[in-house]
Amino acid sequence: MTVFHFFNCAILTFGPHAVYYSATPLSEYDTLGTSIKAAVVYLATALVKLICLATFLKVSESDSFDPYQELLKALIGFIDVAGLYFALAQLTHRNISQNHKFQAVGLGWAFADSVLHRLAPLWVGARGLEFTWDYILQGLEANANLVLSISLAALGSLMWLRKNKPKTLIPIIYLCAGIVATMPSITSYLRRGLGWHFPKVVGFELFTSLVMAFISWQLFSACQRPSM
Amino acid sequence: MAPRKSPRERQMLVLDSVIALVFVLVACVELCDGATVVDVYRLIQYDISGAPFGSRLAGLNHHATSLHFSPHADLSRTVLLIPLREFNISFVKEYIAESKPLGGLLFLLPQIFNFENNGEVGSNHLDGTNELLILAELEQILIHTNLPYPVYFAFEDDNINAVLADIKKSDITGQPATATTGGYKFVVSAPEPKSVVSPSITNIQGWLAGLKGGDDAHQLPTIAIVASYDTFGAAPALSVGTDSNGSGVVALLEVARLFSLLYSNPKTRGQYNLLFGLTSGGPYNYNGTRKWLRSFDQRLRESIDYAICIDSIGSWENELWIHDFSSVAEELGFNVNLKHKKINISNPRVAWEHEQFSRLRVTAATLSELSAARELLEKTGGLIDSRHFVDEKAIIRSVKLVAESLARHIYGHQGKNIQIFADNSNLAVNPYYIRAWLDVLSQTPRVAPFFSKDDPFVMALKKELEDHTDEVYVQREALDGMFTFYDSTRAKLNIYQVASVTFDLLLLLVLGSYLIVLFSFLVITTQDDVFMKSSLEEPVIC
Repeated sequence: MTVFHFFNCAILTFGPHAVYYSATPLSEYDTLGTSIKAAVVYLATALVKLICLATFLKVSESDSFDPYQELLKALIGFIDVAGLYFALAQLTHRNISQNHKFQAVGLGWAFADSVLHRLAPLWVGARGLEFTWDYILQGLEANANLVLSISLAALGSLMWLRKNKPKTLIPIIYLCAGIVATMPSITSYLRRGLGWHFPKVVGFELFTSLVMAFISWQLFSACQRPSM
Repeated sequence: MAPRKSPRERQMLVLDSVIALVFVLVACVELCDGATVVDVYRLIQYDISGAPFGSRLAGLNHHATSLHFSPHADLSRTVLLIPLREFNISFVKEYIAESKPLGGLLFLLPQIFNFENNGEVGSNHLDGTNELLILAELEQILIHTNLPYPVYFAFEDDNINAVLADIKKSDITGQPATATTGGYKFVVSAPEPKSVVSPSITNIQGWLAGLKGGDDAHQLPTIAIVASYDTFGAAPALSVGTDSNGSGVVALLEVARLFSLLYSNPKTRGQYNLLFGLTSGGPYNYNGTRKWLRSFDQRLRESIDYAICIDSIGSWENELWIHDFSSVAEELGFNVNLKHKKINISNPRVAWEHEQFSRLRVTAATLSELSAARELLEKTGGLIDSRHFVDEKAIIRSVKLVAESLARHIYGHQGKNIQIFADNSNLAVNPYYIRAWLDVLSQTPRVAPFFSKDDPFVMALKKELEDHTDEVYVQREALDGMFTFYDSTRAKLNIYQVASVTFDLLLLLVLGSYLIVLFSFLVITTQDDVFMKSSLEEPVIC
C-alpha cells in the first residue's frame, strides 16, 4: 500500500497546480508556454541562489539559529524576487493579458519549486513502508507555497507592469511583497529559532498564505478599478 | 530513407529518453529506512533422514501482534511477538501441537542470554531458574517440531520494548492498525534458505610423547583426553555452549598446558604418551569422535590405556559423575560418583563420548556434571547455555581433579597424598587462562555445519594446541549423511510503523474532495473575474 500512499501525497503536492491551471482561464488561453518559461527561470534562479549560498554561507555544524547567517540567507533569498522580475517583465510573452501573465508565471514558479524540492524526497520516502505524517504535511506546504507564489507574482506585476496605480496603495504593495518574499526566512526562523514543530509551521504557512492571497487580491482589484 | 523527423519531434524523443533514464535511476535507489532495525536469529532448520524439523521459512513480511490478540483473529498473516517474561509454555505447546497457521513467531529473550554484550547485564539477573527451565523446554519443543513459518529470536532492548508496548495497547483496545494507533509491520528480507552443501566436521589432535625407554614411543601406553567442542541449539547463531561443552574444551586446554610444562623437562616426563583430542560432531552421536578413532592405526588404538572424555563441567556444586570408569577416585573434597551404563552396540544412539571408545574396546569414561545420559540434541549448548550460568571455580576444580589423577596415575603416586598441581606453585591451575578461554568460547557460536573451511575459531584452537603439544594434526571429515542443515541463521528485522489501507483510502477521498472543491471554487471565482476583466480590458486595448 505504499505506492498508494505515494500517489496520495503526490496528488496533494502537485494536484492543486494542475487544478489551478485547468480551472482558471489559463488553460483557455494556452499559457502553458509562459509557465514553462517561468519554471526555467526558476531553475536558473535556484542555481544562482545555490552558488551564492555555497559561496557566502558557512556550513553550520549545529542546527541552531544564527541571526547573521539567517540575514545573509534572507538577502540571498531576494534573488528569487529578481528572478521573478525577470520572468514577469523581461521575458516576451506572446499576446497574453497581464492578469493571466502573473498567474501563469506564479504557477510555473510554484510548480518548479515543488518538483525541485519535494518530488525526490517524496519518491524516496513515501514509498517506504514506514508511515509518517511528514509527506502529507509537505504536500500542504506545497499548497501554501503555490498561493504565496501567485500572490508574489500578482504583487510583482502590480509593482513592475502596471503604471497607473493609485499612489496611496504603493507602500502597501511594497510592504506586502516584502513580507511574501521573506516568508522562507520567517518559517526558517520559526522552525529553528523558536523550535516549532513541522505541523505548526505548516499551519502557520497555510494561514499566512491565505491572508496574503486575500490582501493581494484586494490590492489587485483596487488597482483594476477604472476610477483612476 | 526513413522519413525525416522534424527538429521538434527529435527534441521530444531525446527528452523522453532522458526522462525515462532518470526514472530508471531513481527507481533503483534502495529503500531501507525502517523505524527500527533489530538483529534476529533464526530457529535452526534441519532434516533428519529427510524428515523436516525447525523453522522452514526465513522471509517475513507481516503485521505484528502480541499475546493479547483477540481469540478469533486469523493469525495466518500475523507475526506473534512473545517476550519470554510473560511466556506461557502451554499456550505455545497447544499452538504448535495443533499446528495452527501463523505468519511467524518472534521470541524476545532477556539480555542475559545475549553473548554479544556480556558485561552490560549487571543486576538484571534472572531471579529464578523458572525462566531457564521454560526456555529449555521451549527449545526442545522448537527443535523437534516442523514449523512451516519463520521463527526468530531477538533480544529485548528499549526500541523493541517500545514497539511491543504499542502493539499491546492497540491489541487490548481491539482497534485495527491505523496510522495513529500504531500498526507495525515486521520485515525480514532473507532469501530462501539453502541446504549447507556437504557439511564437514573438524577434529584437532595434539600429542605429548612420553619418555622413551629406548624403544619406539608408540610402545608406551597412551592416555587420551578428549573433549567435544561443537554445539547445537535452537538458534545456531546463539549456540555458544559455554557449559556444554566450552567448559570441557577449556579444561582440556588447561590440562594440556600443565602437562606440557611437565613434559618439557625430561626429568618429569612420564612414561605415558598423552593424546589430546578436540572433537567435533558431538551433538550428532559423537560422529567426529567416531571418525577420529577409526582413522587411528591399529597400533596406536591398542596402545591407548584409557580415555577421559570431559563433558559439561562448568556449573556443578559438589557432585561430579564419572560414567563407566573405575580407576580414578579422588579426595579433593567432593564426591565423584561412578555410574555404569550398559552400551547396546546395535543402538545407533551414542549418549556419551566415551561410548565411541568403548565400542572399539578402549577403556574410557566421561567426566560430567550430568547424572543422566542426555537425549539426542538435548543440552548440547543451546540458548540457555550462557556464560552467566557457568562458574569458573567449578572448571578449575575439575581441571585439578583431572590433572591430579592423571599425574598420580602417570607417576605412580596412587594412594599417596601428594599434590603436584598445588595452588601457588608454578604448576598451579591458571584461573586467568581459564577465564580468557571461557570468554572466547562463550562468544563463539559453534554449530559445526556452519563453520567455514579454515574457520578462525578452529584455527585458534589448533594454534593453542600447537603451543602446548607436538604433532598437532587437523582432521577434516564429512558429517555423516543423516543430517541436512539450512543456512541463513541470522538476519536483520526491519520494523515499520504502517498506515492501514483504510487510512489511505480515506486520505484519497479527502484529497479528491479537496481538489474538487478547489476546482469549483476557482472556476466560480475566475468566471466572474474573466467576465469582469474582458469587459474591463477591451477598452484598454482598443
